[in-house]
Amino acid sequence: MNRARTLKTVLWTITGFAAAVALTRFVFGLGATTNLTDGVPWGFWIGFDVMGGVALAAGGFVLTAFVYIFKREELHPIVRPAVLTAFLGYLAVIFGLLFDLGLPWNIWHMIVWWNPHSPLFEVGWCVMLYTSVLALEFLPVPLEDQPRWQSIHRFLSKLRIPLVITGISLSTLHQSSLGTLFTIMPYRVHPLWYSPILPILFFLSAVMLGLFMVTFESETTSWIYKKKPETHLLAKLNKATPFIIGLYILVRFIDLGVRGQLGVLAEGGWQVGMFWVEILAFMALPLLLMAIPKSRNNTNLLWTASWLGVFGVVLNRINTGGLMHQGRGVEAYLPGWTEIAISIGVVSAAALVFLFVIEHFNILDARPVDPEKAPTEKPHFEPVGMVWLGSPEVSARTGFSLAFVLAAGVGMMLLSGKTVRSEGLEPTVVIAARGGDTLFVDGNRDGYGVAFTHQQHERRMMETEANCATCHHMNLPGDEQSNCASCHADQYMTTDAFGHDWHSSPAGGKLSCTQCHAAGEVRSADNAKQCDACHTDLVPEYASIEINSYEAPAYTDAMHKLCIGCHQEQAVALEQEGLPRCTQCHGEMRNVVTADARSVPIRPAPGVVLPPSTVEE
Amino acid sequence: MSQHVQGNKAILTDTTKCIGCRECVLACKQRNKLEQDKPRRWSLDDGLSARNWTSIVERPGGDYVRKQCRHCLEPACVSVCPVGALSKSETGAVIYDGDKCMGCRYCMMACPYGIPRYDWDLAVPYVRKCILCDDQVKQGGSPACTEACPTGATIFGTRDELIVEARRRIEADPDRYVNHIWGEDEVGGTSVMMISNIDLSFLSYGTKLDSTPLPARTKTAMGAVPAVFAGMAATMTGLHWIIKRRMENHGAVPTVEEEGDNGNGGDA
Repeated sequence: MNRARTLKTVLWTITGFAAAVALTRFVFGLGATTNLTDGVPWGFWIGFDVMGGVALAAGGFVLTAFVYIFKREELHPIVRPAVLTAFLGYLAVIFGLLFDLGLPWNIWHMIVWWNPHSPLFEVGWCVMLYTSVLALEFLPVPLEDQPRWQSIHRFLSKLRIPLVITGISLSTLHQSSLGTLFTIMPYRVHPLWYSPILPILFFLSAVMLGLFMVTFESETTSWIYKKKPETHLLAKLNKATPFIIGLYILVRFIDLGVRGQLGVLAEGGWQVGMFWVEILAFMALPLLLMAIPKSRNNTNLLWTASWLGVFGVVLNRINTGGLMHQGRGVEAYLPGWTEIAISIGVVSAAALVFLFVIEHFNILDARPVDPEKAPTEKPHFEPVGMVWLGSPEVSARTGFSLAFVLAAGVGMMLLSGKTVRSEGLEPTVVIAARGGDTLFVDGNRDGYGVAFTHQQHERRMMETEANCATCHHMNLPGDEQSNCASCHADQYMTTDAFGHDWHSSPAGGKLSCTQCHAAGEVRSADNAKQCDACHTDLVPEYASIEINSYEAPAYTDAMHKLCIGCHQEQAVALEQEGLPRCTQCHGEMRNVVTADARSVPIRPAPGVVLPPSTVEE
Repeated sequence: MSQHVQGNKAILTDTTKCIGCRECVLACKQRNKLEQDKPRRWSLDDGLSARNWTSIVERPGGDYVRKQCRHCLEPACVSVCPVGALSKSETGAVIYDGDKCMGCRYCMMACPYGIPRYDWDLAVPYVRKCILCDDQVKQGGSPACTEACPTGATIFGTRDELIVEARRRIEADPDRYVNHIWGEDEVGGTSVMMISNIDLSFLSYGTKLDSTPLPARTKTAMGAVPAVFAGMAATMTGLHWIIKRRMENHGAVPTVEEEGDNGNGGDA
């Protein structure tokens, strides 16, 4: 195994894994494959893929400026890989964005429907234009080997300076506009990251990151292909870096001071900790490493400084892009493994293309040798059956394919569970009844529900053998608690409010049959006395209610309409507009549960003793 | 009501009159043909979702506050939408054109009240929010929620007359209300306004919003775009010319190979 082949195998594995997630994302939607919520609509894909990606590709415009405008000719050998990195970076951003957009097939709409007020519109157009510019800047490279295309090659080479200048201007615009995106969210972004001058901060850090990225990419490529590192060149380039980092840190603190937010630093909390990590570990440390000539000229230290810086600026983008947004009463957002898989997958795919291009075109001062192509390599045999795996090139490709397919399989296996089947529905966390003991239960979310007195249910049920699990159990898939009807089985039945047995009982009402029913007739409810014949004060004189039926409404009728439903119906039926007025029942009380609706107590008819349960509590 | 709309239409919600019956929620669902919904992983606890465009939030103390799109006079969502899928209707409503939307969800990020919701569960998702029943209002009707409210807690009219009414109510009964009309000045004013006996700043991240319209905050940077582009291009061209001339005069380095790249030792 050699470094390049091991790396490629790893990259293919990640890409395969991501491919499985990608498929799921497009079939089942964003809910199944991200941890995004209505409160956190932008997450890792925007923070890392788009904002980080654009920043990571800043090396292209920074280095072309150094070489073609400032004429730092000695840096010429690293300009091609930098432009390639930028080109692939932008392609990766666009590709990554396709996963995040809800309707990715509409990505071209920005070309047709314009909204020049939108910072995102500006970013979108700049990215489109700059990617085209990068393509034109890079095109001479694949063309130079093609004798048939020499005229185009010559033409593009003549266009180089205008292209470079256009590229620099476009980059300035959208690198800063990515900061402008967040200036409209003053109430959302944490004060340590929000600033009206975010565009300036973003531009400065993009220039900084451009230098870091060129350094990182060059040193890493040298390591992979066991080439002599270009530290002497990079050290020269990075003489400027400490000044830019210093300027950035200075501007950031001055901005905090001017906005009067320095006090936030003393408040503590993990956000403040994150701020210091960003500034000290990922900005100040690389500044120090690059400022000291000795460490700047040391390959390992320069490489360390560069990845620290790269990580720092990307972290800043992720923080500004979503991690450091004010809580909205929802749980903190952490990206799901699916989101990270896609992001790393896109980067891996871009890295594979990068390796392919540098192996096949004149990007570096000498094309690195593709290790699989080495003709002198000994044949490899499959260890178990001793089957020849083919020439090294074929065997490498077989290995890559195998890694890709296996990883995709594993990814599919991990995804084929609850996530996908339930379209992203996960068990909801039990939230304590807000506003006290009473819970508004609205199972189908149609806006109608019942006021459920939890505490009262608990108290009554604990007297029997019931416990919490009687209602809160998990016996069916997706079932988390019993519905009301499992106890209140009669909730749809109307109830006879009249206790006949009690009335006729010698222990109760002590009434004989004929006291209510007319003598000599078949006794039924139809020929019985009406309640108010004895209970003369059942309905107060001033009441507007007329009693036609002695059936009590069912639970569902009585409770699911929360009274107001019947009142409204009756208002129409009786042509009494005042009936559904709130004050009819509620007086000054606005709480449904404590409604003072029973202000008229039912008193017994003369000479009748009511059972204790019907007496007003 | 005439066929054409006069003035910015608005809603005034008086939370002291709300009894939490949720008739408005139901009416909204029926008028806008929204399906039933269930709690999801991505739902917030305020009851709004892609299928609930308005909701009643119960506050400790038994107060009910209705949430819905505030239809800002200068909406952040309209200003940030890169394809103009969100726009301000002639009635003052902020309306949405799903055919233009590309699903970037910038509107959801920019809204100071956190109103727009997303079809997270669908493979073809759209942004969903209250549209102030714009079609009905244009024909002289009123929003379903205001028609349904049994207590008159939420009423519909032109913005100017509702501000007068709100102020009249507060002045008539100063002990009952907090002396503030939410939505009169915040973020440049909103079409859905509220008066209440409790502080309603929980509706906007718990912070008091100031009266600067949010789009004004990106205006400076966006206005600078052409100047920055031209300035940067001019500076770079100038620098290129000066440095090139200087190097030629000094004769230190031969003319830069901008014509015909040297290919870094390749076979150019």
